Amino acid sequence: MLDSARVTWALTRAAVRGAAQYRLNFVILALMGIAYQGSGFAFIAVVLSRYPSIGGWTFPQIAVLYALRLLAHAVYLVPLYMLNELDSLVREGTFDRFLVRPLNPLLQVLTRRFSVNSLGDTVTAVGILCYASSIADLRWTPMTVLYAAAAVLGGALIEGGLAIAISSMAFRFVEVWPARYLADHILLNFGSYPLSVFGAVAQWVMTWIVPVAFVAWVPAAVILDSTDGLGVSGTVAWLAPLVGAIWFCLGYQVWRFQLRSYESTGN
Amino acid sequence: MIRVEGLTKEFVRPRRPPGRFAGLRTLVTRQVERTVAVDDVTFDIRTGEMVGYLGPNGAGKSTTIKMMTGILVPTSGSVDVGGVVPWRDRQRNALQIGVVFGQRTQLWWDLPLRDSLDLVATLYRMPPETYRRQYRRFVDLLDMAEFLDRPVRQLSLGQRMRGDLAAAMLYQPRILYLDEPTIGLDVVAKATMRDFIEEVNREHGTTVVLTTHDLADVERLCSRVILIDHGRVLYDGSVAELKSRYAPHRTLVVRVAGDGGQAEPITAERVAALGAALVADEGEEPEPDTVRLRFEGGRTAASDLIAALAAEFSVADVSIVEPDLEGVVRQIYSRRALPA
Repeated sequence: MLDSARVTWALTRAAVRGAAQYRLNFVILALMGIAYQGSGFAFIAVVLSRYPSIGGWTFPQIAVLYALRLLAHAVYLVPLYMLNELDSLVREGTFDRFLVRPLNPLLQVLTRRFSVNSLGDTVTAVGILCYASSIADLRWTPMTVLYAAAAVLGGALIEGGLAIAISSMAFRFVEVWPARYLADHILLNFGSYPLSVFGAVAQWVMTWIVPVAFVAWVPAAVILDSTDGLGVSGTVAWLAPLVGAIWFCLGYQVWRFQLRSYESTGN
Repeated sequence: MIRVEGLTKEFVRPRRPPGRFAGLRTLVTRQVERTVAVDDVTFDIRTGEMVGYLGPNGAGKSTTIKMMTGILVPTSGSVDVGGVVPWRDRQRNALQIGVVFGQRTQLWWDLPLRDSLDLVATLYRMPPETYRRQYRRFVDLLDMAEFLDRPVRQLSLGQRMRGDLAAAMLYQPRILYLDEPTIGLDVVAKATMRDFIEEVNREHGTTVVLTTHDLADVERLCSRVILIDHGRVLYDGSVAELKSRYAPHRTLVVRVAGDGGQAEPITAERVAALGAALVADEGEEPEPDTVRLRFEGGRTAASDLIAALAAEFSVADVSIVEPDLEGVVRQIYSRRALPA
């Protein structure tokens, strides 16, 4: 275990050194991330300047929700970005190499290159969180800070588990990016708003089938101390980070199962 | 060291129906197509052996290598590599094997070659002093000092292949799989690669399994070849035995002293009486005054043939052409094209 961590760390440093060769990309991609995620937030700000609230949530509250989701997304994306390239690693047969090296292939995929895109997302997320804390009715206590940190990690694990499970379909079907886009957009478009704006059925599905609710909506409600309209009890809401851990383990099991059907490429 | 038994790999793909909307119908159809890439292959490879694994394109070479290295899981049959089932225990297997895929580098594209070697040393948990020793030795043997600090993407193919070979052997694996290691290399680079492989095998008793289309690699390095086609083993044995079985003929090239057409021509009848046969010159430009006689090494002694010819004709020069592996393999491949 410790040994694998040391090797993974060496590979990660190499990936960062490799990416640093293309310095202009650092700047451009970071700006792109900021522009993309920032415009999503600006849209909500515009809508809420016309209406006092949506789904019973005010703008400052939604800002907290949005920041938590984006932070979870960034925490997921920084280490797991390379899953997006699993399709091409499989199609071009590069993945073969990972199976003849003494390290878990998943770790080798993740450390193959370092993606700069995720930096922009991280910067935007931290920025919005600072802004949201200043305008929302929030009392940070050691308990809520700890909970928020765990919830962000949990949200990242939910997104990560889903991404690992879907990407690993590439071992069987080679091209799976449409499915990954779909999952990304569901998380992005439903996860950034209070789920109370959708109907009861949609809310139930996004709580108990695909746990979109646990990425940010439930944790934000806990932090804002308004867990009434959630559809889950206060206790369950406090346990939200655990959902991420479970979901990620499931995702990894799917990966392991799919890996068995890997068929490589011809020469 | 390596034991392969009844190894079979079948690929299953959805069948693409002909006609309109074929792509769409592929998505919903349940019909599948089965192709057997490797069919009941069995062999043993001893420690320290260098084996050439040969076959035409699509014969199942790469699929076999991928099962031996643990990349693919076979449909049936078994592989045992140094006591490990490769696909079941991939990481343990990885520690004892080195793999070179000639068409795909394992080096880090954007980093200097030196960094790639450092990373391989870390991946394989090499003790620092062992690494330093191996590193110095390989840089020297493969003559890499000059381009160690250059990013891999800027290396020539020959330089990159040397780097790849060093990376695969750095941690002293017991077994080395080489899949087309000399593809696209020039003569000098090929020679360097072959010398290095030979040196490593002699020094450490490394077992080497080599697939290649360059039979000069095999003639130079391997004492044994396994020939496969359509996923089945056609031949397994020594190179010498392969030649004598499939190409028992040697060729005697005789140049007659040119004296203005006065000399008696060497005719087919006379040659047949000596236990040989006249053959056409396969070269591009037939040389004047030269005849080629084919004879079977096992039945007719070259010395007798030359003596008899010299006694009857005015022979200016003789030379013997031995069958080369390339001709042998070409013959076997072309024979398979004929209906059985």
